[in-house]
Amino acid sequence: MEGILFWVCGLMMVFGGLMMVIQRSAVVSAVWLIFAFVCAAGIFALLSAPFLAVMQILVYAGAIMVLFLFVIMMLQGPVLEGERKWLSLPLWPAVAIPPMAVVVMVAGYLRKDGTTPLGGPVPEGFGSPHHVAELLLGKYLLAFELISIVLLVAIIGALAVGKDERKLPWK
Amino acid sequence: MEITLTHYLVLAMVVFLTGMVGFIIRRNAIVMLMCVELMLSSVNIVFAAFSRFHLNADGHVFVLMNFAVAAAEAAIGLAILVEIFRRRRTVNVDDLKALME
Repeated sequence: MEGILFWVCGLMMVFGGLMMVIQRSAVVSAVWLIFAFVCAAGIFALLSAPFLAVMQILVYAGAIMVLFLFVIMMLQGPVLEGERKWLSLPLWPAVAIPPMAVVVMVAGYLRKDGTTPLGGPVPEGFGSPHHVAELLLGKYLLAFELISIVLLVAIIGALAVGKDERKLPWK
Repeated sequence: MEITLTHYLVLAMVVFLTGMVGFIIRRNAIVMLMCVELMLSSVNIVFAAFSRFHLNADGHVFVLMNFAVAAAEAAIGLAILVEIFRRRRTVNVDDLKALME
């Protein structure tokens, strides 16, 4: 059962990513990316991380992608003028060779050492909101507080970049 | 067939490479940002897979941190793109080469 779900979620996620890359319209790309993120939430659920699965859908597929769609709506029509119709020839090696090198590397590793099984049975409540919150507000409290500063800086930065320069308070 | 840690790592690699190739071949700066989001997402899968492998939920905390970083990156990147569009009327990266020349 877990195997079937892994293949379904994994292949659909890769398919969603590929469709995002090859669709010429930015809006269609964004929708395929949401599809890929929902499949990633399925992968998280398979990895016994239910809280992450929920957060993936809430934060990524919800908040971040709505921001993207909103900006696409503001900026331009669906298809960008000058988007490549198909990969031009001189670009092919630069795009294709690095991924192929990585794939060959991993294939060689798998032939030599085989696959590594996942750890033993999952303890009760692993990855639940309770479990993650204990870590987040205990062992990693400092990191948790610091990440709020990152978000604050991002808010201020986005405001400063987006605002009309002449109206900035320090001008 | 049993699903192993390696399956998840290879899946993350394939997704990461998809995002990387997309980042290289696309010319629309918004779609390039979305490709970066896809790459970040594949890294999250690696975190979660190793968390499961070691049965240690510390990785989950870092995935949550990664969510926050991705949100901050998207907010700033899109703000910059809106500003660029306001001045240049385009988000085609082939036309934005003032720093290259």
